[in-house]
Amino acid sequence: MSQPALFVLIAAAVFAIGVYGLLSRPQLVRRILALNLMGNGVFLLLVAFARRNPETIDPVPHAMVLTGIVIAVSATAFALAIVRHLYRQTGEVSLGEDRPR
Amino acid sequence: MGELVGWVFDGLLALSLVLLAARVVASARLFESIVLFIVFGLLMAIAWARLAAPHLALAEAAIGAGITGALLLSTFREIVTDQPPSAEAPKVLVYRLRVLMALLAGGVFAVLGWALLSIEVPAGPAAGEQARALVARTGVDDAVTAVLLDFRAYDTLLEMGVLLLAVLGARAAVAAQPPASGDDLWIGGEGDTPMVGALVGLLSPLIIIVAGYLLWVGAYGPGGAFQAGAVLAALGVLLRLTGRLVPLPRAGAFQRGVLVMGLAVFSLAGLLTMATGRAFLQYPEGLAYPMILVIEVALTLSIALPLVLLFSGSAGIAAGRSQHSP
Amino acid sequence: MNEASVLPVESHPGLVLLVFIPLLAAILSVLLDGRAARSTAVVTLAGVFGALWWVSAEVAAASQVRHLLGGWGAPLGIELMADGLSLAMLWLTWVTGLAVSAVAPASFAGRAEVSRLFWPLWLTLWAALNATWLATDLFNLYITLELLTLAAVALAILGGGSAALRAGMRYLLYALLGSLAWLLGVALIYAGHGVLDLHTLGVGLEVGPATWFAAALMSVGLMAKAALWPLHGWLPPAHAGAPAPVSALLSALVVKAAVYLLLRLWWWGLPALTGQGVALAFGVLGAAAMLYGSVLALMQLRVKRIIAYSTIAQLGYLLLVFPLASMAAWQGVLYHALSHGVAKAAMFLAAGNILMVVGHDRLAGLPQAMRARLGPSVAGLVLASVSLMGLPPTGGFIAKWLLLRAAFETGGVVWVSLIVLSGLLAAAYLFRLLAMLLRRPPGGEGDGVPDAHGAASLPVVLSVMPLLLGIVAVLLGFVAAPLLELFLQGAPFVEAAP
Repeated sequence: MSQPALFVLIAAAVFAIGVYGLLSRPQLVRRILALNLMGNGVFLLLVAFARRNPETIDPVPHAMVLTGIVIAVSATAFALAIVRHLYRQTGEVSLGEDRPR
Repeated sequence: MGELVGWVFDGLLALSLVLLAARVVASARLFESIVLFIVFGLLMAIAWARLAAPHLALAEAAIGAGITGALLLSTFREIVTDQPPSAEAPKVLVYRLRVLMALLAGGVFAVLGWALLSIEVPAGPAAGEQARALVARTGVDDAVTAVLLDFRAYDTLLEMGVLLLAVLGARAAVAAQPPASGDDLWIGGEGDTPMVGALVGLLSPLIIIVAGYLLWVGAYGPGGAFQAGAVLAALGVLLRLTGRLVPLPRAGAFQRGVLVMGLAVFSLAGLLTMATGRAFLQYPEGLAYPMILVIEVALTLSIALPLVLLFSGSAGIAAGRSQHSP
Repeated sequence: MNEASVLPVESHPGLVLLVFIPLLAAILSVLLDGRAARSTAVVTLAGVFGALWWVSAEVAAASQVRHLLGGWGAPLGIELMADGLSLAMLWLTWVTGLAVSAVAPASFAGRAEVSRLFWPLWLTLWAALNATWLATDLFNLYITLELLTLAAVALAILGGGSAALRAGMRYLLYALLGSLAWLLGVALIYAGHGVLDLHTLGVGLEVGPATWFAAALMSVGLMAKAALWPLHGWLPPAHAGAPAPVSALLSALVVKAAVYLLLRLWWWGLPALTGQGVALAFGVLGAAAMLYGSVLALMQLRVKRIIAYSTIAQLGYLLLVFPLASMAAWQGVLYHALSHGVAKAAMFLAAGNILMVVGHDRLAGLPQAMRARLGPSVAGLVLASVSLMGLPPTGGFIAKWLLLRAAFETGGVVWVSLIVLSGLLAAAYLFRLLAMLLRRPPGGEGDGVPDAHGAASLPVVLSVMPLLLGIVAVLLGFVAAPLLELFLQGAPFVEAAP
């Protein structure tokens, strides 16, 4: 197995672990962590594929991941801001299955 | 021999990444999950280096692990109620659901892995080949910087909008509160020792020099506005933690200016090129490098400030006390 | 129509202006921190109108207009492209934007911080919407989707309290999951094809398992963002809990962006995959959304909730273009997107007025409080409802008539009965709403006399805007021919021979 193939499979595993975390842990910070794991999985995938040809490395996925990292931190920060203020107002740290009227 | 060492290293790295990810999800304690996630980010940075992506190694370490980790930890400090697993739902139900979810995640892994390994190198004209072939026609030597600030500069520009929206969105979350309950922002720097003061005094100029170097070197090699901005933001986080930057309920005109400067300079540069009869952000011959440099300087500051504000949890920041409390 | 003999105009500045006029206005509104919001909005509306007129003229002549950003062009660079479908959405965005910008100052009066944040958020949302309507690059669309998500959630929680925060968080989680699914799909496509441009991808596409998986992932991601059944759970609390002008934006435009991309992805990017099976799958999903949303709308006890569930149902119609797959269906879907957008904006603004005057929007408590100042709002709600039910002579009638025709021609009895049944259900939940609003108080007391609740005064602009939008929803029924001629430029179907 080549190095890119190894990391491609690892990427798939990290993404799947993120999916499991998102589904199984309702605590909001944990859900945000899980989404970040999934994002890292996709990033790893892109960069591993960029190295398929060992002579020439594709710069486009590298740029995409750099953009993706900044977007991920933005979304994470926004989500955490909502979590903080939801906690301050209600003391809740998860959404539960509520359907508020 | 060297190849074998590389193999073993990659294997261990890959294994650690998966185990850490699993532990982040499975750990019973949120604090442990967050710390392990930060470690995961640092290992990702090593993985980027192994995959010949030094740009990303720098950005991941500074943003993915550093800033994200700081944000998570400061949130954790406010939300200290770890829900014990028993409180979530009856155990049998949880167990069955978990098995179902694990099967689903396993299915995602199987299908994704199968799909990934079925992919062959595309035969047609690919973007990456063109990018490498045309770097010489841009103002910079580094292919990744060329993609970010020339070939696909529009992506980078809109991405600055995402960062701005995160700041505005965090303020919207504040505005959702009843007015009375606001403003219990932590100041930071409690229990500051002379050691901390000396360290901060030593580190600050050093970090600024590193950021400046990263910005400049981006035209030739790994580095650029993102890495420089992230390093500057790390300095801001340090100063905020030690009480040398304090939160403000409103941002002044200067800070609002810095917040949108990257977006504004980038947009105006593009409209300027369009006004001279070219395509949007089609840099004129010979002016490409200076224009990219100006844009990068603006981007660096407009990346750093929002990240610091998001960490600070406030609309603005100001210089605070810098005394060495006993 | 759609002759290849006319070369597309390369690098038309109008396309860039459509994104950057609102974006610069957003920057300006951050700098001015809430000052001069009205003049900024007026200049932006005028500027976008001018650019839109310019681009429309070009599209009418050349069927599509492009701009090669940076001068590079695909596959390396990013392109913007406008065709009839883009124009339809751009104009809908402008009309909704006009209404929302007009009511926002009165709507947020006395709430300085909310108003300060509303303008940069809405103007950035506008730029992101226009960027989405014009984008052809899959990774660029990931960024515009994230812009839409962050702007929409931030607007949804604006000034709303804990219920809105909870709804916003749920919305954000669904939307971020959708973005990640889209991004993973993009990564698979790039790995397998080396390109990110929709049109380049669509030409000579070789289909492998990875491409199928990517298409499925991206579709599921978009469905989560469009609140298509069964991923709709976030929409009712988020749309019903947001301030009225925001609900109008979210329902008329933001969810539609995801459905729009579903159409772009399958009919432009992956035409080789868009066969019978895919068509049937989307048809079934659309049908489920239409029926489920309608039934749930029938069971709601609050005005805004009824309108929100109606959005879930009405979005389902847009998926009917997959199984019906004809020019008539395309026309119907396009016109439905327009008339639903205008009608839904009218309804949410009217509901906002009810909330403002009466103090709540529970159906049970409404009739006694309805008289004095809500006349124009209720009139607007009635006109919009008539369009949404598909009664003549409205825009909604044209859309549903075209869809029904398409179902007769290419669909068969199942689709015909689905459209009829869904129309009847829409009539049922809207009549239930209107009956409550228009019912005379029992005992005949208080006719024309404002009761105690009605004392809150309603600014004129808030009062008349739902009526104006309702009139537009009706007028759409009279101008269908010229509009469709423009908006069908570059359609993926051709007119069947008579």
